[in-house]
Amino acid sequence: MTNHWNDIQHADAILIMGSNAAENHPISFKWVNEARAKRGAKLLNVDPRFTRTSAVADHYARIRSGTDIAFLGGMINYAIRNNRINWDYIRDYSDAAYLVNPDFRGAADLDGVFSGLKGSTYDKSTWSYQTDENGVPKRDETMQDPNSVFQLLKKHYARYTPEKVCELTGTDPKDFETVCDVFTATYLPEKSGTIMYAMGTTQHTYGSQNVRAFSVLQILLGNIGVAGGGINALRGESNVQGSTDHGALYHILPGYLKYPKASEQSLAVYNTNNTPKSNDPMSINWWGNTPKYMASLLKAWWRDADLETGYSYLPKIDDTTNYSYLPIFNEMARGNIKGMFAWGMNPAVGAPSARLIRRALAKLEWLVAIDLWETETSAFWQKEAGVDPSTINTEVFLLPAAASMEKEGSVANSSRLAQWRYKAVNPPGRAEDDLAILTMLVNKTKELYAKEGGAFPDPILNLSWNYGKLGLDGKIHHPSPREVAKEINGFFLVDKEVDGKLYKAGDMVPGFPALQDDGSTCSGNWLYCNSISDTENRMMRRDTSDPTGLGFYHNWAWCWPMNRRIIYNRASVDKKGQPFAKDKPVIWWSPLKKAWLGDVPDGGGGPGAKHPFIMVPHGRAQLFSASMTDGPFPEHYEPLESQVRNTISAAQVSPVIMRWDKKVQEEVCDPMLVEGCNAAVFGCEEAPEFPIVCTTYRVVEHWQTGQMTRWLPWLTELVPNQFVEMSEEFAKEKGIRNGELVRVTSIRNREGIIANAYVTKRFKPFTINGETVHQVGMTWHFGYKGLVTGANANDLSPFVGDANTMIPEYKAFLVNVEKVRR
Amino acid sequence: MSGKKEGMVYVTTLQERIVHWLLAGSCLFALLTGLGLMFHSWDFIAALLGGHYAMKWMHIFSGVVFAFSLAGASVMWWEHCKFVPEDAEWVKKAGGYLWDAHDLPPGGMYNAGQKMFFWTVFIFGIIIVISGLIMFNPLIFPVTLARWAYMLHAASVMVIAAFFIIHLYLGTFGNPGTVQIMFHGWATREYCEFHKGKWLAEREKKGGEESQAA
Amino acid sequence: MTEYIKLIDLTKCTGCRGCQVACKNWNGLPAEKTQFIGSLQNPADLSYDTWCLIRFDEIENGSGLKWVMRHDACMHCDWPACVKACPSPGALVKTETGAVVHDPNFCIGCKACTVACPFDIPRYSAVNENISKCTLCYDRITDGRKPACVTSCPTGCLTFGPKAEMQVRARARAAEISGVVYPNNPKYQTNVLYIMPAEIRAAQLQHMNPNPKMPTTVLWWKNLFKPFTLIGMGAVAGAAMLHYMVRGPHEPEKKEGGE
Repeated sequence: MTNHWNDIQHADAILIMGSNAAENHPISFKWVNEARAKRGAKLLNVDPRFTRTSAVADHYARIRSGTDIAFLGGMINYAIRNNRINWDYIRDYSDAAYLVNPDFRGAADLDGVFSGLKGSTYDKSTWSYQTDENGVPKRDETMQDPNSVFQLLKKHYARYTPEKVCELTGTDPKDFETVCDVFTATYLPEKSGTIMYAMGTTQHTYGSQNVRAFSVLQILLGNIGVAGGGINALRGESNVQGSTDHGALYHILPGYLKYPKASEQSLAVYNTNNTPKSNDPMSINWWGNTPKYMASLLKAWWRDADLETGYSYLPKIDDTTNYSYLPIFNEMARGNIKGMFAWGMNPAVGAPSARLIRRALAKLEWLVAIDLWETETSAFWQKEAGVDPSTINTEVFLLPAAASMEKEGSVANSSRLAQWRYKAVNPPGRAEDDLAILTMLVNKTKELYAKEGGAFPDPILNLSWNYGKLGLDGKIHHPSPREVAKEINGFFLVDKEVDGKLYKAGDMVPGFPALQDDGSTCSGNWLYCNSISDTENRMMRRDTSDPTGLGFYHNWAWCWPMNRRIIYNRASVDKKGQPFAKDKPVIWWSPLKKAWLGDVPDGGGGPGAKHPFIMVPHGRAQLFSASMTDGPFPEHYEPLESQVRNTISAAQVSPVIMRWDKKVQEEVCDPMLVEGCNAAVFGCEEAPEFPIVCTTYRVVEHWQTGQMTRWLPWLTELVPNQFVEMSEEFAKEKGIRNGELVRVTSIRNREGIIANAYVTKRFKPFTINGETVHQVGMTWHFGYKGLVTGANANDLSPFVGDANTMIPEYKAFLVNVEKVRR
Repeated sequence: MSGKKEGMVYVTTLQERIVHWLLAGSCLFALLTGLGLMFHSWDFIAALLGGHYAMKWMHIFSGVVFAFSLAGASVMWWEHCKFVPEDAEWVKKAGGYLWDAHDLPPGGMYNAGQKMFFWTVFIFGIIIVISGLIMFNPLIFPVTLARWAYMLHAASVMVIAAFFIIHLYLGTFGNPGTVQIMFHGWATREYCEFHKGKWLAEREKKGGEESQAA
Repeated sequence: MTEYIKLIDLTKCTGCRGCQVACKNWNGLPAEKTQFIGSLQNPADLSYDTWCLIRFDEIENGSGLKWVMRHDACMHCDWPACVKACPSPGALVKTETGAVVHDPNFCIGCKACTVACPFDIPRYSAVNENISKCTLCYDRITDGRKPACVTSCPTGCLTFGPKAEMQVRARARAAEISGVVYPNNPKYQTNVLYIMPAEIRAAQLQHMNPNPKMPTTVLWWKNLFKPFTLIGMGAVAGAAMLHYMVRGPHEPEKKEGGE
């Protein structure tokens, strides 16, 4: 979230799109209702399904799964055509006035693709700004130059007319008009609108661009950095924010530092390649600090190694190899991976084409599952999984873990708020908390390396792991998360003077501006620097005072960065430092005190001194972004599997997505993969056999793959069975009665899965390009273990991911549904 | 069984007496336990009987006894309690209870008042039994029917309880010599002539006072 | 002791069912073995082990589709039919807090309350031979806390407070959304109130009594037949005594005896 949960109360319009917040983030509705009660905010909900969120929305608009960019493009076009643009904001705080490389060609010119497309990747050299002799982007303050970002944007989205949009999305034009009108009305400086989104937005082959489309819209309306605005990703589990913050992904290190590549063999090269530069003196260009953060991280991990040595200890990834979720399982299926830790992870249910995943698991030599209960992943070899255990050679270990209330530590929520939690009870039996399990692993690994040597023992042997008192055997047996938290915050390794203040070795680093690139500080995650002071762990704070009355609660726990509750908050004030919205200021400049008041301001300097978007190189919000792999402006494509022809352009699907289903991949894939597990329906031509759009989702009563909730009687009581939601019209056509069993098949699973039909008025057939399109929906909470079991929707879903992030396309694929005949 | 006694007439059979007392006893017991359930202030009844829960079951069982005795009583007394034309005359003169009426028609086995009591008990007894059955498991019946059952049960009790008191009075103080009939079966000849003239005449015509009641 | 009201704002319920689980949690109620019933509603109905249930209704009318989620639990009537019908002292009690509380130790399992209740709330267990139902968390509210369901509610749909204050709030909220307060029968008030949106009527929702009142049969039973049973018996006994005193026993006159 750019903002935070209780900031939703300041919104004048709330757009929930690609999220079922009422269901999956119930607490958010406390603040949604607050905004409605106090500000008369209108709640808009755009969703393929009429959900529990729709039930309480002021306006609901239906869209066909996967047509978010068409819808949002239409909204952007609406804002531009109706002059609902915060002109001062986009001129001063965005790149709207920048001039783009004249060789750049957009989707309007190239029928759905952008200049530079070569095969299945873009050469992005034309996706750049024109710069002056100082290297600062050129501007046209009037934004009339045809190469200005604004004019390019306008041209791009002029194609998204209401007629075209509704033809693709299947939305009632009146509903579309209402959503556009209500939301774009927040373009006024004193108004703000928030967007709440979740996996309905991201789980598409163009999911990142869906989010980009939100950004474009919000920038045009001047809704970023202000109270009641922002783009708010509602994280799907309690600490998933923490897991990404701390680098639990292959392409980032803690604090979103880029992961070193094989071509970056020295720290110097890494720093050069990964430290953006800006010649604009008003740009703070925060990532310019990358060398300090990287150096502090290396020191946190290898305290006694010098920086270059530490850097050499970091494994490097191949420059062009993708190590994300889907490729991992692809490689596993090909027999290239020996062992796996499934740590609180249940891919046998949660991964797309889960049948393929389970076959891939069987190629492992060993599998360690660490969880609260026996998961489908740890039981992939059992009869319940539909396999013959005697045919599987994988050795499986199941380590019992501690649940959240059985261990201590910090949990970071969507608000970027890190809250300390204490242990309430001891874990049962021999279950251990994650840190203890990890410490045992580290101890054993170090011991083995010490004893047996190996190819490169140094990174392990020299790893700093000082999270508790040493036992008699010289090892740590009771590691403390408080020690880990201290290392994450970072401390001085030598006496050092920073900004005129002397810090002693061992003193906590007061904040990331004080981190050093010379190895004199360590910090496990620069973003969390400031979370612990010499006197207190700020994550433990529980002060409910709110002196500004704006809901910042600065003394309640701690949020990154630097306890700033709304990021990019310098965009909420004019050049004199006065807030656009007087009744809900985020920060304001006090000429008397010569200081910013309110929230913690972004970056240094007085009013007007710096550009507000400190994390992008030039300091201005990017309507035009070259950092995306699939285009600087979001463009509508159809899902990989769609029976509908894209009528915006000739490009049916995103041209740059990674495909395993294509015939060209046959030679590199395991024969098993080509059998059909990863097949996909290609566009309209092959649709007749699987003519129904399917989407997957969660219900409030279960969590993810159900690995934690399907073992709890009170929750299984609420949702005991897998179901397939469908419209009354569709059920009638197929002769299906509510509650009876149906079979759902996809090209990857022709035997199909069996589930209860849930015939509801809340689903309705779409009319797309004049044709009827039916949609069904299933939860992905069910598997073959637990108090209740059921068919797994991911036994149907396609093996394909987003062009940028590789998040699988769970939200739109093609299936067929038939009544089960007995 | 009955033998013969000087100046006495054998009026009721043993079977009749047993059924009568079962009916009366179960009715009285059900009434008492029922009152105990209806009036929280009468919880001494529950206290005597071992609490409300025990009393609930006693009430139910006495209801079952009542139901069977009612069935037996109906079979036995059905014929005797059919109204005959003379009953109208009896009613007009209030059976001689309220003012002196010397020309009452000779009575049958039961007079019109007793017949009325029988039919009251019969009709409201059936209502009580059926509503009681519904109340035993009201959940399997439509709620409206179940609610009517509770109401009619209470209404019927109200009626039967009042008649019960009248019966008690008329069977004891009101008509000396009556209650004995329900203990040992015998009444004085004088009593029978006064109360059951017609019945006695018919019976003697048929075959002597020794013969058992038909 | 303060009298309280639980207010249920139907416009704010998102059907998260936190209340349903919190109720089971606080009251230690076991889960039921359920099956999908063609609706998210589960268990299908209130039961001995389910005192609070979110009911889901899909209503399609001129103004479009409404999906109504309704928190269904005991209404804690001011003048509770269940208490009126209950034969066992202490088994069902209307407390000063407004809560109608049942005590399984005193319940004799007669089921009278299950029939009398205008909202079909008390549920009987043949195994335990008693009934159970929502107690408004009497054990919490007398300790200054809110009922478990209200505490768990994330959206502000369920609120709880002193009676007078909540009545004002209910009326204000109803006026704000042009809705009504349910029940709106001045003769039959409850310690639980609903805010009904204008476009939804109670009759459209499952298990919601459109005209809640004390059942007439209960009134006749308890207010007429019950007292008149005693009055009738007493009157008749009195009359009999009077008769005896005035008329004496009814027996043949001695002089006619020899006839």
